[in-house]
Amino acid sequence: MDFEFSPEEQKMLQEVRAFLKSEITPELKAESLAIGYCYGGQLGREFVRKFAANGWLVPNWPNEYGGLGASAMLTFAIKEELAYIMPLIFVAAHMAGPTILHFGSEEMKKQWLLPIARGEVEFALGYTEPWAGSDLSALTIEAVDQGDHFILNGQKTFNTHSHVADYHWLATITDPDAKRYQNMSMMIVDLKSPGITIRPLITMAGWQTNEVFYDDVVVPKENLVGEMNQGFYYLMAALDYERMFPMGGYRRLFDEIVQYAKETVVDGQPLSKDPLIRQKLAQLAIELEANNLIFYRLAHIIDEGKIPNYETSMQKLFATELAQRITNTGMDVLGLYGQLKKGSKWAALSGQVEHRYRWSVVETIYAGTSEIQRNIMALRGLKLPSK
Amino acid sequence: MNYDLNKTQTILKDEAHRFLAKECPSDFVREMAEDETGYSKELWQKMAELDWMGVLIPEQYDGIGGNFLDLTVLLSEMGYSCLPGPFFSCVVLGGLTILEAGSDSQKTDVLPALSRGEQILSLAWVEQDGTYVPGGIKLAAILNGEEYILNGTKLFVPYAHVADTFICVARTGQTLEDKNAGLTLFLVNAKQQGIHIETLITMAGDRQCEVIFEDVHVSKDNILGQLDQGWPVLKKVLQMSAVAKCAEMIGGAQRTMDMAIPYVKGREQFGRPVGAFQAIQHHCANMLTYADTIKFMTYQAAWRISEGLPFEKEASMCKAWGSESYRKLVALAHQVIGGMGFMEEYDLQLYFKQAKAAEQMLGDADFHRELVAKEIGL
Ligand SMILES: Cc1cc2nc3c(=O)[nH]c(=O)nc-3n(C[C@H](O)[C@H](O)[C@H](O)COP(=O)(O)OP(=O)(O)OC[C@H]3O[C@@H](n4cnc5c(N)ncnc54)[C@H](O)[C@@H]3O)c2cc1C
Repeated sequence: MDFEFSPEEQKMLQEVRAFLKSEITPELKAESLAIGYCYGGQLGREFVRKFAANGWLVPNWPNEYGGLGASAMLTFAIKEELAYIMPLIFVAAHMAGPTILHFGSEEMKKQWLLPIARGEVEFALGYTEPWAGSDLSALTIEAVDQGDHFILNGQKTFNTHSHVADYHWLATITDPDAKRYQNMSMMIVDLKSPGITIRPLITMAGWQTNEVFYDDVVVPKENLVGEMNQGFYYLMAALDYERMFPMGGYRRLFDEIVQYAKETVVDGQPLSKDPLIRQKLAQLAIELEANNLIFYRLAHIIDEGKIPNYETSMQKLFATELAQRITNTGMDVLGLYGQLKKGSKWAALSGQVEHRYRWSVVETIYAGTSEIQRNIMALRGLKLPSK
Repeated sequence: MNYDLNKTQTILKDEAHRFLAKECPSDFVREMAEDETGYSKELWQKMAELDWMGVLIPEQYDGIGGNFLDLTVLLSEMGYSCLPGPFFSCVVLGGLTILEAGSDSQKTDVLPALSRGEQILSLAWVEQDGTYVPGGIKLAAILNGEEYILNGTKLFVPYAHVADTFICVARTGQTLEDKNAGLTLFLVNAKQQGIHIETLITMAGDRQCEVIFEDVHVSKDNILGQLDQGWPVLKKVLQMSAVAKCAEMIGGAQRTMDMAIPYVKGREQFGRPVGAFQAIQHHCANMLTYADTIKFMTYQAAWRISEGLPFEKEASMCKAWGSESYRKLVALAHQVIGGMGFMEEYDLQLYFKQAKAAEQMLGDADFHRELVAKEIGL
């Protein structure tokens, strides 16, 4: 056993940290915040290309596809570093890309992985539909095979990056008569294709997600991922990658709340001397540590050449519920100041706690709800009976 | 024992429910969150015509002489509709303080106008410490002949920007031997020279303000209650208002149930209503327990206030319990509704924000648990 990074890994993490410190400007942060930390804004794209040029976007991919052939451990650590400074979400590099690496044809890998690794293209997740949320086997959007291309018709909802991304990572029905799980295919769709309409849905945290409508959209055959009608399994794999949840953003918020507690004097003493606040913050520190261990366990499993199973669900569940406890405790610590929004006079920590408090509501819902994660752990992990 | 509302209260509840369903739909709530004043004068007048402002005010001051339970019923319906505006700050915080501490002539001056909806009060209490303890009050009132001169800054003053009169909590004495002494309440004309108001931007869209008092002259006659003896009044008002806040939670909790339960019955995934999954059923059962316990904790405390019985312990229990339970109830509602409930256009978010605002106002759970600890002799 060894619970520390090796000297070489630490050296690289130092470099990453130094890079982020010098490259992340307030303007870039503001842009990213405004689009909900999706990667796709002008400054964000410039930054990500520079970041990716070091191989840091996908360190554990093979060199031929733009990676460094590094460990998953280091990859996870770099994700954490970035998330701590600016919690950008990468669909192409961190969810679709690894799935293509696993299941894509050689041509597909050649065509897509290098641009993804270089940070030149971004995808949006296209799974959910109005009647298919937790149950993705209930999709109805259909892609009809026309020889060298498909024609797509249907509707997606809550597709978050769509308005800033380049391509849709789309789950679609290709054999409506087949059994569940045998009827779905994954494809990559240019979001600028004629027939695609994107309508914003505004969330209670202000950030945008979208409805995406497909009306006779043409998709070339070569954009099919892996095998036809095997898409459900690819989707599940991509979901597993999505569920490996870097906590950096919330860890940063936690650190800022701790700092605030130390600096804020109430009734003659710093908040950090109040036993109730000490207990709450110490508890969160403990929970963050526990999360850290189950987060890097995922990297460990991958580095062993295995595929994480229930362990991913555990970490996603634990991290997202912890995220809500962090924001709620932050609201407790800030007290009446907590409710003040960014831009208000007297707002504490630039209103971040209030905003993250609203946002954290969705963490336990998207990428598979907490109930779904618990089901997976019970059935797949513990092999409990389903009937 | 009897857990039921009486006949007049039931009628009041039904009337209020129907009135607010019509006058205060969720679109209106959203509109008011963006509105400059944050409330509708027209609706305010209609509420006054229904005698809502006068619910607690004795008939001799043109009120209807209702009791605290009547107020509870009304506030619960306001919570159900997320009614925006200064009702709470004016009728509850302001009204209760005057009723507690005002002289007959002060009551005659203020209460009839309040009852008619022509006078908006607010309580300027909290300062930079952000707490409801006496030590937090630094705003100084210095005697100068027949007047006091007020200097200092108040924060989180609800609807100060539309108030006609403030009740300002000021420090008039030192607190060496008795740390609860030395606070005095002043009636201050809100439009007076030297008062500067800036509206803060809050999560729930309710209006809370910074109010700066800069050499504000106030006559000695405007002292509410006794010089230096403001704290016992404030403490009582705090605890009654905390119960009143919980009354709003009763309604908010009910509305949240009314959204979530039909939703999980109707929403199908995996070939069945999501409400058929035990995970969801258990969440819903917990929500129901929160809703019922908030209600009865509040009714009990409100009943004790109405009956003139000691209520301090029950009031703090009720605010400590309600603050956390209502937030947890809404969180579970979010969980069982899923993605849809996270959309701005879905009304649940209004209650998410209402719950957090209500939790923090007038002492959060930690604050009231400490009071309960004292009440049970710890
Ligand atoms: C802000 C936001 C961004 C999103 N971004 C994306 C995106 O980019 N791309 C995309 O494809 N999707 C996205 N989603 C969709 C998201 O993944 C779904 O909302 C989520 O999977 C839940 O589906 P649902 O909302 O339909 O809830 P439902 O599936 O209707 O669930 C309702 C409730 O039933 C429970 N439930 C369902 N099935 C079971 C079961 N078998 N056992 C126990 N309980 C169950 C759920 O846990 C939940 O509590 C996003 C959603 C939001 C809100």
